Amino acid sequence: MNPDGPLSPHPPVAGRVLDAQLHLLDRQVLDADGVPVTTADDIEIDGLEAGVPIPPGAPAPSLTALLTGPVLGTRIFGGRPPSSRLIRILWKDVADVGIVISLGVRGGSLDADWVERWVRDKIIARIPGGRHDPR
Amino acid sequence: MILGDVLGTPVHDGDGNRLGRVADARFVIDGAPGQLMAGARLFGLVVSPHSAASFLGYERTGLTQPWPLARILRWRHRGSFLVQWHDIAMIGPDSVALRADFTRYDPALPKRAGGG
Repeated sequence: MNPDGPLSPHPPVAGRVLDAQLHLLDRQVLDADGVPVTTADDIEIDGLEAGVPIPPGAPAPSLTALLTGPVLGTRIFGGRPPSSRLIRILWKDVADVGIVISLGVRGGSLDADWVERWVRDKIIARIPGGRHDPR
Repeated sequence: MILGDVLGTPVHDGDGNRLGRVADARFVIDGAPGQLMAGARLFGLVVSPHSAASFLGYERTGLTQPWPLARILRWRHRGSFLVQWHDIAMIGPDSVALRADFTRYDPALPKRAGGG
């Protein structure tokens, strides 16, 4: 398949390998109780400056946060929302990456599902019977 | 930096020749131990000469089913390679520059991560 012949595999690494597109982006994010929080729309990398030459031997940038936000429009029309509109889920709160991304914290402590909380408190709670579980 | 700004960016070698586009970014979880998971560092970028992005990752896994889909997607992503972080000279807003003596590696994932 390759004109230059088969390529050699990369040097072995000690940790688990994750490819952003395959294992992280667009995955559903569940909180510590298994409740859906959001999806991972993008990734924040720390230690990397766009357009700045990377000196040899520079330490590798680290993944600091999963980002989520209003990306539907930009997915269709291109571009991405401004950084200020993206909500960060810190990597240190991630407990596991599998079919879904599991967090080790409860969703209530995250900014990612503020829309759901706002709808619950401002709209659903004002509907008669909206303050208790259905019977 | 936000990863979405890098994905799909053209990649050039040390002489300025265009090699393809950034199809994916590979991370390795081998950083400082955290309370839940260790830190993840950028290991390298997957470069695809014929497509702006990767779809389903057939070129990085051993999956061969369904056969027609696997053949088509492997053909579409033919020539993909991985460059490690230390071979990257600059990641700019419009292009990624590699060092003159960069090494192409097979983009295949290690077995245990391939099924994820």
